Formats: sequence, structure tokens, C-alpha cells
Amino acid sequence: MISLEAENISAGYGNPKDKNRMQVLHEVSFTVPEGRNVCILGANGSGKTTLLKVIAGMLPYTGSVRISGQDIQKLKRREIAEQVAMMLQFSDIYFSYTVRETVMLGRYLHIDNFFGNPGRQDREIAEQAMEATGVSDLAERQIGALSGGQRQRVFLARTFAQHTPVILLDEPTNHLDLKYQEELMEYLQRWSEQETVLADGSHHRNTVIGVFHDINLAFGIAQDVIFLKDGRIVAQGEKNQTVTAEMLQTVYDIDVVNYMKRQLNHWKEL
Amino acid sequence: MQKSHSMSARITVSALLSILVLAVCMGIGSVEIPVSGAMTIIADRISGKVLPSSVDPAVASILWSIRMPRALTAFFVGGALAVSGAIMQAVLQNPLASSYTLGVSSGASLGAALVIVSEISVPFLGAFLLPVSGFAFGLGTVVLVVLFSTKLDHNVQSHTIILIGMVVSLFVNALLTLVSAFAGAHSQELLLWQMGSFSGRRWYHVAVMAPVCILGTLLVMRYHRELDIMTFGDEQSMAIGVDTRLVKKILILLAAFLTGVSVCFSGTIGFADLIVPHTVRRIFGSSHKYVIPMSMVIGGAFMSLSDLVSRTLLSPREIPVGAVTALIGAPFFIWIYFRTPGNHEESK
Repeated sequence: MISLEAENISAGYGNPKDKNRMQVLHEVSFTVPEGRNVCILGANGSGKTTLLKVIAGMLPYTGSVRISGQDIQKLKRREIAEQVAMMLQFSDIYFSYTVRETVMLGRYLHIDNFFGNPGRQDREIAEQAMEATGVSDLAERQIGALSGGQRQRVFLARTFAQHTPVILLDEPTNHLDLKYQEELMEYLQRWSEQETVLADGSHHRNTVIGVFHDINLAFGIAQDVIFLKDGRIVAQGEKNQTVTAEMLQTVYDIDVVNYMKRQLNHWKEL
Repeated sequence: MQKSHSMSARITVSALLSILVLAVCMGIGSVEIPVSGAMTIIADRISGKVLPSSVDPAVASILWSIRMPRALTAFFVGGALAVSGAIMQAVLQNPLASSYTLGVSSGASLGAALVIVSEISVPFLGAFLLPVSGFAFGLGTVVLVVLFSTKLDHNVQSHTIILIGMVVSLFVNALLTLVSAFAGAHSQELLLWQMGSFSGRRWYHVAVMAPVCILGTLLVMRYHRELDIMTFGDEQSMAIGVDTRLVKKILILLAAFLTGVSVCFSGTIGFADLIVPHTVRRIFGSSHKYVIPMSMVIGGAFMSLSDLVSRTLLSPREIPVGAVTALIGAPFFIWIYFRTPGNHEESK
């Protein structure tokens, strides 16, 4: 079982000893059991991305984060990355690699020879990941020459190529055309119903933990919801019980339900 | 497979060109030595045979004792500098970074200046005191930069390292200026050292520089995949499973070591570390599996050639090799960097 537990997490940016530093998360606690898809929702600056980075062990924090009961601060970088893959929002590109080379970097922990030559399984997994994100046709292109949405899909493919049972996604549908948004969400849905077999032979139900800007897409995939406001969790739990008109109003500071209904009117005549 | 064929072709051509460059560097000078004659001399030297009477022993001596060690020292210094530049550019995700950005050259110059100005002498070290002091100060400066960065920034992010590097570099430069003020009669010597030269290099220089360059490159090769990954930034690298905090330090110290030893044997020579890796990426792609070894080969050829220009252009006067690399390097860099629109796209 791969479960993720966060207990009393506080985190921020700047020197931890500095009293004036920017504190982003305040004593956040939650648990994600294996196989439960969770979406983290909140307004801009509520701490969603910071929360993901903390669980991935990328930012210093106080409190504790455990993967399957093990404190991530005691785990090696590779031990985390073998179980949890993360797709980040931005990546600057200074040196140009082909799409295939970039996706293959996701196989880093699985390839173990001096020249880093991928084996058959590595190639198959990379091809699958490119297929799933619709970048197979771009395989030989330089990523520096791709559009924002295409790059986003390449990095998604790389994340899938890591072949981990848990993936953390930071606004994965950003920059994506509707077609790819739909395809991606469908793929995530299918993927999350499957299992991943790790190198030690253990089977794990797949888990998606995602930050989504688009509430509709989030509700499409998530079973559980975490609402963040100003770095604190204001509600969490099973989607149908947690999401209420009042809660959405609190978190987004706008009457979300009516807003969505008005949006729907645009489509009724078509 | 088409692609890997052309890749091996490109590697072969580059290697052959480098050997040709080395041969030319050994042949050209105040005494011209034809390639066939040179080959005889080298073959005889290596096999320990007596020179045939057709070969002038003075020529043999020029080739074997002066030109060969000089060209080879230049080659391995160039190789080491280029590899260190390739590392720094990748690790710091900055196409303009080099060991010099982190203060290797300012540190080394300060170390050398202290020795020159104080006229200090240490038994056993003798003539080696100057390079050893330069090396120690150069490496020390980088260690200082890394320590500061680690202290100030939990994740040791690249921009922190670059910023600290520049500040420390400027600070050390200020100290150097201070020391230079007392240089008096020694200022000429100091200036020459700072501009770099391969004049008077002997086989024992090659005996140190060659293994440092070759073994250093092999060590760096162990990290070629980490180098690829780290060009995407610290967080991306962590997500993929690279222990960036550790690997970054190892690679920076390796790069500083390669530069440090090179600086010891040549003085501070700029531009090779900047332009060679970029040229190599243009020809062989960005994968460090190719970038690292080919930077060594092409960096070596570039430096040997620069040294040839430095000693023949205004012969019998020598111009500092650092000036040559900059004169060739600056316009070449602009050309290679801006040659294609969009600057990254090579092939569709």
C-alpha cells in the first residue's frame, strides 16, 4: 500500500530563520489512501503548488510527510521518485533535446548502464507515454521549438514514463487545447483505474493527486477534494459530501454555482 | 539507424580533424617539419631507435622536446576547460556560465599574484609554487562559493550559486587589484600569467595534464544523464529522481578542479570553455553522452590551434594565447549562437 500522509505541514519561501519570511502553508494535515484520486482546489496564491512540492520533497517544511509510513526526509531522492512522479508547471529550456530524448529522461531511475542506453521496456514505456499524451508525431522535434501546450504534453509524457503508482500534477491542462484536455482527462481516468507494478514486484493501485484550475475537470476525476484558502485547509473529504455551494463561495470568493449556470446558457442555443 | 550512422561519421571526422590539427601544430614554426619527417622522428623516439642520418638531430629535438609537449599541453588544457564549461552550463542552466563565473580565475590569479609579489619561496615546490598556489586559490574560491550558497539556500539553486559566484569573484578581484598595487617591477610577470601562455611547456606538464583531462572527462561521463536532466532545472531534476543538492556540488567541484589544474599550467585563458561546448551542441546535439567527450576533443584542437596562432602570427614575438582565444572566440560565439532564427531549432 502506498499512502501519503501529511501532518501539520507548514512551509514557505525564504530563509526559515527569517521571521518576516513568506509563510504559505499553515499546519496542513491530510491523508491520501492508495487508489483515491484527490484534487486540491483553491484560489490563486492559496498554496496549492507549494503543497504539491512539499509532498514531493522539494521544499523545506515543518511537520511530517510520510509515504507508506516512511518519513520522506529519511528517504533518498530516488526512493521518492520511484513511487511519486511530479509534473511541474514551468520548465525553462536552455538546451534543446528532442521530444523522445526528453521523455526518455523519465526513465532515468530504470536505466542502469554507463551510456544510458534505454532497453526494450524503457522504449515501450516511453512510446506508450508519448502515445497517451499525443506527442508521438513530435518525437524527433526539438522541444525548444514546440508551443506551450505541446511542451506541456511532452513533460506529461515524461512524468508517465517514470512509471510510478502516484503522480502529482500541477495544473496539467494548462495551455492545452480542449481536444487534449479531454484526451488527457480520459487517459488519467483510465490510468487511475489501473495498477502499477514496481521493480520489487509489488502491485499498487494508481493514484492521481492534482491541482486543477478548472473545477469541472477536477470534479471529473477526483474522488476526494481538498479545499485550500490562504494556506489552510478549509474542508476536505469525499467529493459529494465536501463540495457545497457555500464552500465554493468561501474558497473562490464568488458565487460559483450561479456563475457556472450562466456559462451554461451560452451553449443552450447551439 | 540513419541518425546514429551520421553521428559516428561526425565523431570520426572530428577526431581525425583534431589529430590533423595537432600534426599541423607540431609541423609549423620557425623550422618547418614535413609530416613524413615528423612521423619518422616520433616513431623512432617511441621505439627507441637511433635517428636515421637523413634527419637533423636539431630538428628532431625541436619537434620532440619543444613542439610536441607544447601542443599536447595546449590540447589537454583546452579539453579540460571545454569539459568544465559544458558542465557549468548544464548544471547552472545558463549558456553563459563557466568555472570563471564562479571565481576560479580570479582566485587563481590572486594565488599567483601573492606568490609573485611576495617573492616567497617554498622548498621542494620550487617552480611549482606558482601553479600550486594558483590552483589552491582557484579551487578555494569555488569551494567558498558553494559553501555560501549551501548555507543561504536550502536547495542550492543555480541562480543563488551564480549570484554568490559573481559577488565572491568581484571581491577576490578587488583583493587582486590591491595586491597588484604592490606588484611594482613584478606587474609584467603577473600580467603575462593572467593572459596565459604555453611557452616552454615540457613533457612533465603533459604527464600531469593528460591524465587529469582524460580521467576527469571519464569521471564526468558517469554523470552524463544527470547533466541532461539538470538542464531542465532543479525541481524537474528532483522530480525525476536526481539528488540535485549532491550531484550539483560534485559536478561543480569536478569542473573547478579541471579548470584549476588547467589554469595552473597555462594561466587564465577564457572563451574555450564558453564557445566549445556550444559548438559541440550544434554539431552533436545536446545529449551530454556526446557533448562531454566531444568537448574534450574539439576543445583540445581549438586550444592547440590558438596556441599555434599565438606563436606564429607575429613571430618571433608571441602574443598571449588568451588574447587569441578571445579574438577568435568572441565573433565565433556570436555567429554560432545567432546563426539560426529562434536559436534552438535545428531540424524540423
